Amino acid sequence: MADTAFREGHVDADGFRIRYVEAGDGVPLVHLHGAGGLRLTPAHDLLARQFRVVAFEMPGFGDSPVNTRTETMAEMASTLVRAIDKIGLDSFNLMGTSFGGKAALWVALQATGRVPALVLEAPAAIRQEGAAPPSGTPEEIARRLYAHPERMASIPPIDPAARAKAQPLVQRLLGPHRDADLESRLQDLSTPTLVLFGTLDGVIAPAMGRIYKDLMPNCHLVFVYDAAHAISTDRPEAFTEVVVDFLERHEAFVISRTETVIHP
Amino acid sequence: MKLSFFETARYQASKPLPTEWPVPSGSYDPEAGARAYRGMIERLELVEALGFDWVSVSEHHYSPRILTPSPIVSAAFLAAHLKKIKIALLGPIIPQSNPVRVAEEIAMLDTMAQGRLIVGLLRGTSNESLTYDLNPLEARERTDEGMELVLKAWTEPQPFGWQGRHYRYRTISIWPRPLQQPYPPTFALGTSRESCDFAARHRLGCGVSYGSFESVGKATRYYRERCAHYGWQPVPEQIIYRANMLLADSDDEAQEALRKLPGQAPFTMRPGVRDAMMTLDSRNIAGEARAPIVSGALPTTFVGSPDTVVEQVRRCRDVVGAGVLDLSLHPPGSSSLDPLMRALELFGKKVLPRIRDI
Repeated sequence: MADTAFREGHVDADGFRIRYVEAGDGVPLVHLHGAGGLRLTPAHDLLARQFRVVAFEMPGFGDSPVNTRTETMAEMASTLVRAIDKIGLDSFNLMGTSFGGKAALWVALQATGRVPALVLEAPAAIRQEGAAPPSGTPEEIARRLYAHPERMASIPPIDPAARAKAQPLVQRLLGPHRDADLESRLQDLSTPTLVLFGTLDGVIAPAMGRIYKDLMPNCHLVFVYDAAHAISTDRPEAFTEVVVDFLERHEAFVISRTETVIHP
Repeated sequence: MKLSFFETARYQASKPLPTEWPVPSGSYDPEAGARAYRGMIERLELVEALGFDWVSVSEHHYSPRILTPSPIVSAAFLAAHLKKIKIALLGPIIPQSNPVRVAEEIAMLDTMAQGRLIVGLLRGTSNESLTYDLNPLEARERTDEGMELVLKAWTEPQPFGWQGRHYRYRTISIWPRPLQQPYPPTFALGTSRESCDFAARHRLGCGVSYGSFESVGKATRYYRERCAHYGWQPVPEQIIYRANMLLADSDDEAQEALRKLPGQAPFTMRPGVRDAMMTLDSRNIAGEARAPIVSGALPTTFVGSPDTVVEQVRRCRDVVGAGVLDLSLHPPGSSSLDPLMRALELFGKKVLPRIRDI
């Protein structure tokens, strides 16, 4: 779990009191969480060594009141853009996980010119037919999210009440498995975008990754080997390395900087 | 039963060779090497005419015993000279290869050979860890990851990056792709739990080798169990059994030939290396630990007259479930080719026609 000190803050936007946590200095990196809510992973710590990481809790998740007001992901994004403005972030890198991947796409569409680069971790904006967020007991959820839950020292805890409360909001905002409106807009979203899928993702088929690449003009697809849906928990070092490299160099991240001299 | 002939490029040394592996390359005779490769084609024209379905090649380094360090080069050579027979590339050793390069070369070769390629991917024998400085403790993980990357490179239509444990590529997009779509018939080779599970999970075939029917049968049983777990059943043609066969006119003659086989591999690692390798290189059959083979001779599991061997093949089919026999008809590295050629003709006439329907 997090050993970097993430500070908690709140910001008011669109009548919601929105919680966020932040750590680190440097270029801002806004993170939007998955359908399970805001949860810090080892990757947040690693990213906070290089970036000012600001992770929002979307209204309706965690301990916030039930959110019956936000109807669409585009609306959620507009609330989030206001929250980002309130914090005073003018230009910011953006990262979205699963459900938050769809939110991040909408934020990038709305905050035109303010997002130098976008990272989508196992994004849920395009899903195979019949795909469903993990549900059931904490053990069943863990088996869907992680590649090797049996090898993990501790399974991140799940709050069933908070999940149940957010469930209708998640269903509303996720929308159809193929969202024609969003997909047509993605064709004009030229933000450098990194799409990551774990090779063992059992929630969203890794083959969905190629559709983002088909649609988006500046999209890069990377498979993280031996990771499932929760890539940043399964392989935090591998996840962070490629994310940092992409945020620093955008499409030039394809040029290797690995040194192979063994002895001078 | 489908039949495959295991071709090792029979190098006939003009003078006695040192017996230590690696064998000093200074003792290599270029003319003898050229004869070995020419002879390979002559022999395989006969193999093709006798009705074998496949010829197989493997990857072994630093010795004349099996003179094919690059199985892809071997396979390309065979594909260019032979017209009908399928070419089974039962190398390449994945943990010491660039998996993207493997995917590219196999795709090229399958296309050039007009879809006649069969592919086996494997971890390799213990000594091969020494060839390109592969840490034996990492061999298993590199194999699994590399095999998965080969499959992804064949099938992913968009350029992609690979953020692995042992391999990292920022962008992969191979040309050509294989002629056989999505890829040639592919096998994970080995008896280990990991190899069988990988094959089952990716709906690949499984290839086992050399052990007794009972011992390799444990692996193929485990493979079929794992296939059932993943919701499918392999057909017999998805199980290859590579084995040594000593065939003679009579059982007595075959048994006599068996007694004359050396108990040791022809070229062996130094004792200190061998002993260290025994502790570092962990091997298993369907999860049950087995000692790595570091200097012993490989067992011969088919021995006898044509009648006897036909019965053994029948038993093998029952116990191992293999639908493809990949046969070495005389130990590679032997000093004369005559016994091999006699066995090949006898096999073609008296055995092959009778085991087709098994």
